[in-house]
Amino acid sequence: MAVLVQSPDHPSTDEKPRGPRHRRRRDAGVTAAIVLSAAVVLVGSVYPVGAVLTTALSPDAFGRYADFFTSATDLRVLRNTLVLGLLVGLIGTATGFLFAFVQTRLAVPGKRILHVMAMIPIVSPPFAVATAAIVLYGRRGAISHGLFGVEYDIYGLDGLVIVLSVSLFPVAYLGLLGMMRALDPALEEAAMNMGASRWQIFRTVLLPLLAPGLAAPFLLLFVEAVADLANPLTLGGDYTVLASRAYLAVTGEYDTLGAAVYSLILLVPSIGLYVAQRYWLGRKVRATITGRPSGSVHLITGWTRWPIFAAAVLIALFIATLYGTVIVGAVTRTFGVDNTFTLAHLREVVTGVGREALLDTTMLAAIATPVAGIIGLLIAWLTVRHLRATAPWLDFAGTLGVAVPGTVLGIGFLLAYRPDLYVGPVKVLPGLVGGSAVAGGAIAIVLAFVVRSVPAGLRTGSAALTQLHPYVEEASTSLGATPIQTFRTVTLPLIRSSLLTGLSYSFARSMTSISTIILLVTPNTKIITSQILSAANTGRYGVAFAYCTVLTAIVLTSFGLIRLLVGGSATLHRVASAERQPR
Amino acid sequence: MTAPTQPATFEVADAAGALQLCELIKTFPGRDGPVTAVDHVNLEVAPGEFITLLGPSGCGKTTTLRIVAGFETASGGQVRLDGRVIDDRPPQKRPMAMVFQSYALFPHLTVAENITYGLRLAGRSRDDIASSLQIALTSMNLIGLDRRSPHELSGGQQQRVALARALVMQPRVLLFDEPLSNLDAKLRGAMRAEIRRIQKMLGITSLYVTHDQDEAMSMSDRIVVMNRGRIEQVATPEEIYFRPATVFVADFIGRANFIEVVPERVTAGTAEVTVLGQQMTVAAHPALRPYVGPVYLMARPETITLTPATEGGLGTVLRRTFHGHTVDYEVETIAGTLTVAEAGPDPRRLFDEGDDVNIRIDPARAYLLAKD
Repeated sequence: MAVLVQSPDHPSTDEKPRGPRHRRRRDAGVTAAIVLSAAVVLVGSVYPVGAVLTTALSPDAFGRYADFFTSATDLRVLRNTLVLGLLVGLIGTATGFLFAFVQTRLAVPGKRILHVMAMIPIVSPPFAVATAAIVLYGRRGAISHGLFGVEYDIYGLDGLVIVLSVSLFPVAYLGLLGMMRALDPALEEAAMNMGASRWQIFRTVLLPLLAPGLAAPFLLLFVEAVADLANPLTLGGDYTVLASRAYLAVTGEYDTLGAAVYSLILLVPSIGLYVAQRYWLGRKVRATITGRPSGSVHLITGWTRWPIFAAAVLIALFIATLYGTVIVGAVTRTFGVDNTFTLAHLREVVTGVGREALLDTTMLAAIATPVAGIIGLLIAWLTVRHLRATAPWLDFAGTLGVAVPGTVLGIGFLLAYRPDLYVGPVKVLPGLVGGSAVAGGAIAIVLAFVVRSVPAGLRTGSAALTQLHPYVEEASTSLGATPIQTFRTVTLPLIRSSLLTGLSYSFARSMTSISTIILLVTPNTKIITSQILSAANTGRYGVAFAYCTVLTAIVLTSFGLIRLLVGGSATLHRVASAERQPR
Repeated sequence: MTAPTQPATFEVADAAGALQLCELIKTFPGRDGPVTAVDHVNLEVAPGEFITLLGPSGCGKTTTLRIVAGFETASGGQVRLDGRVIDDRPPQKRPMAMVFQSYALFPHLTVAENITYGLRLAGRSRDDIASSLQIALTSMNLIGLDRRSPHELSGGQQQRVALARALVMQPRVLLFDEPLSNLDAKLRGAMRAEIRRIQKMLGITSLYVTHDQDEAMSMSDRIVVMNRGRIEQVATPEEIYFRPATVFVADFIGRANFIEVVPERVTAGTAEVTVLGQQMTVAAHPALRPYVGPVYLMARPETITLTPATEGGLGTVLRRTFHGHTVDYEVETIAGTLTVAEAGPDPRRLFDEGDDVNIRIDPARAYLLAKD
């Protein structure tokens, strides 16, 4: 037997192994990807938001804050905004929870239909719900007045809360649905085993476990509600919120300084809560719900399921009336007053004055969508796989497009890109925004579409990448592929279905976005959503409905088209299950 | 299986690589300051050698492997291939191929596309790729599966595809990251033999990571036992088992009794000790010096034999555990409780709990080592 080897053994080395470490040089392809995505987020969101901040924090602006916090009107605007966010957050989350609970815990029929009903608001254009609500439930509403004879004033806080809750609750629903499905049923079985009743299980197990999970959609809905501009403009009446106040400052009073000040005041809670939701709560929730579910869910079969079910069905019916009205209203002369069938509205939209807006919007969104999808995925790939210290920064910059209220971003674009850009005496960039802008403002609009949509690709992309075990990519590297080759031949094909989701979502977002775009449209570049706004505000509801219907049709068609182009497949799910680690 | 008469087989790279790890260090930022995952690791792997990194989870074996592959950057030290420092080379530029724990087959590609992936990236000619594929399919017993998707294969087949995919690259060094841990016990045994057979046939330098001591013992030329980022011992499986360098190694590999003794005479590599009235000369750790005070006598359970004692034996049977092919006894003695294993037990001559027994330790298989 050989002699024992001393441990640790010391092979003779003539070179000194230690010393200053020179880091391995980063791959050129990765560097290019970093530069590209950084450039897009810098130009598209960081610089405009920076412009808002520098304007709002310039010495000229300081007096405005004193005015703001001493003016009763302005303080009421601030209070209105917060109350609206709070109510929509609460009601929207509760509705989402109700739907998720029915979906995962009740033994009732028609769950698929309920699910579809809950998803409809996601693809719906802005104004659709608001306009339909006015027509159905307003002072002369077909249901409120026509059926019950009530003159209900829907303008103001109550109308806003109802409409925003209906429009936004799907976000809460989807989040809570995933969470309740991931919840280990064994926990409930354990409680049952120890003699807990259904109600006790709900109170002592389900709710405490979901509590951090409920906070996330609440914050998200709060942020979305206070950032919303479309609904306050149509349904707000004299209930002014910060977003509509800032919009008014720009478009009505030509007061960009005031707009910047309102923007900053709006920015503080939205960004703060968004960050809290995304980074702090996100971590907490994951810590609570871990592991793979085992056992099986025991659905509630007693009589208690019926009142809960009835509540969900009522809300679904309410949604159905709203969207039904949009479609019916598009082919009705004056909905609720003169219910004769007509194609005049649709004709006006498709072949008349609306044609230009349809074409412009679709073309600009079609340009923006692939760019946003690719940039979003690239940022996801870089932050998940390649960057360490700088990853959170790039991720945050990429997310800025939705974290910042659209109105604020639009004001940022005005401040940053309306003036010609000079370096010294040389004009390097002509104004991108405003009546005299290059290409009729189209460049700025595409850019706004891109930065508003990048976060969608980023989120779906990083979720898919986190699911995809790095081993698969390392295997490719180990076989001699450069990072970019790996991204192209392995990563991209595997996360194709999430690319599909990202692209579809970003196209839908571009087509239906209003709050940023409304500040960027010029007479040369017409956008559907701003056409809807002017139609709704002048009481031409039929035309507004026609626009909404056509817009939704374009969005749904494009979903099919993108699926055809990118090729939807279930690859990701296969990978996710194949790559789940035993440890 | 391939026929014995010179079958078409993988071509071996020009020469198997010689791998050298010099003073490797890897620290990760932890909550309470940096955590050292790899702590001054030195290792030389000769061309064609099969070396296993073995240790409990978190001992740094996988991190070491990933530094060699280039997936992790060492915080200090060097990795050399054939004498040349390769720390600055990105993983795709290292002539190594890795077989992953979960196989990491590309789920969107067929078996054939998986196997030829690296060759296609390298821009090999169509004929070249086709013939390499044929050789791989033949020698890895994958004929007829080339158009399947990975998820349509059994675990063992996936494992063979992963191995074939690595081998067609003709790597200088083959790296394995617990490749068999996802297979069931029977298949694992077969794959062990298969991997070892191919590795020997091709003479590829191999670095293999596992936490399964049985796997390490049955496959390796040499085993590197790691603990807390440090190497405890580098030796052949036999040495590791019978001449463990530390208490950790003795305890981690197989089972061991540690009996505290004061050695009487210590000369180069041997010592005289008296244990349970039995005076014997045993092998000792070479670093052991005379008059060191109490040390451990390591005796494997199967090297101790029990005989019936009529009156006042050296020990009393505390517990009997029957396993079928062996029977384990726990015996209480004045030197502590010993575990004794009897192979191929005779059902008529089993000891019962409470029986008095005499104890004999085989001095040839006992070993003296320092307390930690």
